[in-house]
Amino acid sequence: MSQERFWTLLSKKLSGEASDEELEELERLIHQHPEWQYAIPNLEDLWNLQSPAARAEDEEDAYMLHLHRMQEKGIPFGEEPVLYPAEANFFHHKKRNNRKWWLAAAAIVIAIMAGFFLIQQPDKKAGSIDTVATQLNEISTKPGSKSKVQLPDGSIVWLNAGSKLTYDKQFGNALREVILKGEGFFDVVKMPDKPFIIHTTAIDIKVLGTTFNVKAYPDEATETSLIKGRIEVFIKGRPMDKIILSPNEKLVVKNTSLSAKEANASVSSEPDIAINKLKYYNAEDSTMAETGWIENKLVFTDESYEEVIVKMERWYGVKIEIQNEQLKRKRFTGIFKNENIDQALEALMIAIPFRYEKMSDKIIIHQ
Amino acid sequence: MPENGHIKQLLAEIALHDSQVAYKQLFLLLHKPLCRFAWSILKSNDDAQEVVSDVFIGIWEKRHRLTSIESPLLYFYTSVKNHSLNRIAREKKRQQTVAPEEWFVQLNSVYFDPEKLMMTDEIIRQVKQAIYDLPPRCRLVFKLVKEDGLKYREVAELLQLSAKTVEAQMAIALRRIGKCMHLDITTRHPNSSIKK
Repeated sequence: MSQERFWTLLSKKLSGEASDEELEELERLIHQHPEWQYAIPNLEDLWNLQSPAARAEDEEDAYMLHLHRMQEKGIPFGEEPVLYPAEANFFHHKKRNNRKWWLAAAAIVIAIMAGFFLIQQPDKKAGSIDTVATQLNEISTKPGSKSKVQLPDGSIVWLNAGSKLTYDKQFGNALREVILKGEGFFDVVKMPDKPFIIHTTAIDIKVLGTTFNVKAYPDEATETSLIKGRIEVFIKGRPMDKIILSPNEKLVVKNTSLSAKEANASVSSEPDIAINKLKYYNAEDSTMAETGWIENKLVFTDESYEEVIVKMERWYGVKIEIQNEQLKRKRFTGIFKNENIDQALEALMIAIPFRYEKMSDKIIIHQ
Repeated sequence: MPENGHIKQLLAEIALHDSQVAYKQLFLLLHKPLCRFAWSILKSNDDAQEVVSDVFIGIWEKRHRLTSIESPLLYFYTSVKNHSLNRIAREKKRQQTVAPEEWFVQLNSVYFDPEKLMMTDEIIRQVKQAIYDLPPRCRLVFKLVKEDGLKYREVAELLQLSAKTVEAQMAIALRRIGKCMHLDITTRHPNSSIKK
């Protein structure tokens, strides 16, 4: 009997292509010719040798370059979810000569994924930008400032520092859709036939008429806190689930950040979610920690200094660096109402002493 | 190793929810193997990366149609192959196509961590040589199945071969590699006649 059949069957077995009959046939052949199986263990080992995994750093770099290239070609892909048909192109750029673009791109450090870029109002920039899609309205707040907006339907949104709210001129026709990046407190007018929908990077929120807070800063967990009414939350990546929040509940969605290793190992790409009760920082005063910012209070409830500093950066619009690792992990509880940045730092120092230095563009904290 | 099931999951998220997280995951999963494949045709790292980037742009632009793909791996490899061959045709400015026999196929897994194998250095050396000596098309088929995880019928489709041919090529590859391990045998069954 030709050994050819043996090799055919064995290769099919190793690559998972063998049918049950073929596996049986292979067994029978081995039984008849036991000396043929001398190589099998070694071949199996050889087969199972994996290619070296790509270095996570290299692949992350490659992804960044890829995004940059997409941007150069004017392909819409930002942190904003898409409201418009996928075929619409916002910008027409001349196709650059991309012969050496890889080399050029490598020299440019562009943080595409972190933070966000402000899109110019389409009608303000004639010539270089040609919009095909419907017009956008945007309100954005810089770090250090807050803003109150009234939408065409009468709903009110308070935008916290470093946030952006976007809606188009279709708003209020069949749907009331907005895109939020950062943090906003919504007081939505009840219109049962026109659902109010908020898109953030991680979740979509459907509202009928109610008041609630949404916090969706890039690189942080996304939280939505319900004060009054009822909202439905849809989590991207879990199309089957719809979460309904009751008043005084808070939903937290941790955004997954991935490395190549995790991408190969994990089967599920679902974000972590948790539903918590809202924190009250003052039992008599029923204002909640989550919405203190609307009354111009900056509230911390048992948060690490690292988290405190992030909030302060946004609130005061100033860059702050903690250079002491231990200090970052210390916890702080407190409220800042009318304090300026110096007074706030003094308050933090009472809890745990540290020294700080004011530079022209940032504040550095040492211990 | 990338698997069609996992990839389909990611494609569903990209298609239905415009998920940039899933898109990035897909990229991180497939970028390296696809670049290696492109490289085998184009023999240039820069060109290979551009081609794979183009393919991924295509994935994003056509994302709403992705859920109907039956064999995602085949789809991506075919896309990379076509982009690569088109590029060569464009650059050479003539209708020159690079046949699979000319693709410079490198198997990575065999060269990585051979200490994991319970084989003598001599045998390992022979195995590497045997793989190197495989006829080009045979080596290509072997790599696509063993390292890239494509199914026989996907390889057949990609390289425009019959399923039987793919089967045969795999058998050849395995037999040639298996022969190197002959030296491990210290005793032979007296009644056997090992035919080639």
